[in-house]
Amino acid sequence: MNVPLQVFGTLVLILLVSLTRSFVFVIIVNVWLLAVLSMTDPSRMVVILKLSMGITFFTAIVMLPAFVLGNTYSSIMITTKVFATITAMGLLSHSTKWSALTQALKTFYIPDIFIFILDITIRYISMLGEFSLNMFYALKLRSVGKNRSKYSSMAGIAGTVFLQSKEMAEDMYHAMECRGFTGEYHINDKSKFKWRDYLYIGIIAVFFTLFIYFGRV
Amino acid sequence: MIELKDVCFSYSDIIALDHINLSIKTGEAIALMGANGCGKSTLLKLLNGIISPNAGSYEFHGEEVTHKKLQDDKFSKLLHQKIGFVFQNSDTQLFCSSVYDEVAFGPRQMGVGESEVEHRVNDCLALLGIQEFRNRIPYHLSGGEKRKVAIACVLSLNPEVLVLDEPMNGLDPKTQRWLVDFLKKLNKAGKTLITSTHNLELVHEISNRAVLFGESHTIVADMMTEELLKDVELLKRVNLVDTYYQYKISY
Repeated sequence: MNVPLQVFGTLVLILLVSLTRSFVFVIIVNVWLLAVLSMTDPSRMVVILKLSMGITFFTAIVMLPAFVLGNTYSSIMITTKVFATITAMGLLSHSTKWSALTQALKTFYIPDIFIFILDITIRYISMLGEFSLNMFYALKLRSVGKNRSKYSSMAGIAGTVFLQSKEMAEDMYHAMECRGFTGEYHINDKSKFKWRDYLYIGIIAVFFTLFIYFGRV
Repeated sequence: MIELKDVCFSYSDIIALDHINLSIKTGEAIALMGANGCGKSTLLKLLNGIISPNAGSYEFHGEEVTHKKLQDDKFSKLLHQKIGFVFQNSDTQLFCSSVYDEVAFGPRQMGVGESEVEHRVNDCLALLGIQEFRNRIPYHLSGGEKRKVAIACVLSLNPEVLVLDEPMNGLDPKTQRWLVDFLKKLNKAGKTLITSTHNLELVHEISNRAVLFGESHTIVADMMTEELLKDVELLKRVNLVDTYYQYKISY
């Protein structure tokens, strides 16, 4: 499916759920999200549900005093809205690659260079995380008995990771320069519309109509 | 084609290149050899315009390449289109979110139209035999696969000169053999190859001329690769080999 459209649709859905005062509308959205979830991979479904249920449960605990003191409607509304929001975001993040999500930002007129920096930051967090983990293992293997200067060792690891990241950034910049980079970064928007995307637009339009209808009722 | 006259370069107070004089003709296959820290990688960076000499001159196709000229976007793009650099560490060279985008990066930066970009990417992927990696994330590939993608990224610009910094490092024997055969094909097709390598067993296959750096950061020998490999005393003098090295050529 067209990723920018998916991102836009999810954001619109979350916005409608947040703004609505109709409990029926929230329930309809939740039913729809659960139906979509039921069509995904079982393992993915479990991961998303665990996250949604966990945060919803936490919200319910937080809303418990309000519920007990008589604010029943608001408490239930907030809890169900949280479930809808987290499930929608979970579905988006688990069905789309992170790189596709960052590139979808181009549709929202986010500057290309910002998207590139975001992409590189995410990638290098993972690479530098691996590097610092290896350093930590090396430290562990070389430690005999009890290490009384743990903090200075950790500071050493942090310092080395910083230097390594600086070096990697310089090398990467040189590599980009060698391939013609002169400061302008262009992302090619490859998104194309298929029949599923038009169906998705239709569903978003239906939810928007329901939002207005239940808002007036 | 490439002319270095009395080139010197230092990193702060540390001399990396000391009065280098080197001339490279079109179509040559040259190996830069020397012990660790003798200045091979520095010279490769200089050839690619990443650094500029502190003294001396570097000319490419008769035109001097200076720091000031490299500030001009047009000149910089032109130089980088003609000289491609494959870095020693493929991880730093691969920064896009898919192999397709990685190979397309160079032509897109040069302003090539998208249909031509697709054509070039398809050709390069086919040439390197990595079509199935098209939509893969470069970071998740193995060492050899990354090296192939890095080479494809550079070839998509169709450079005249291909500069490789220790391309055999970290590759298994089968992939090393593949790379040697591939580089031989590129040289036969007319590309000038400049390779920095420690692999004394394969260097004679990817070069016919060897430039040997000494620990004094100068060029101590510039001769046919096979002749250099036979001069064991010279190789020992520059600390490239030890007493146990025996020269072999396998045909």
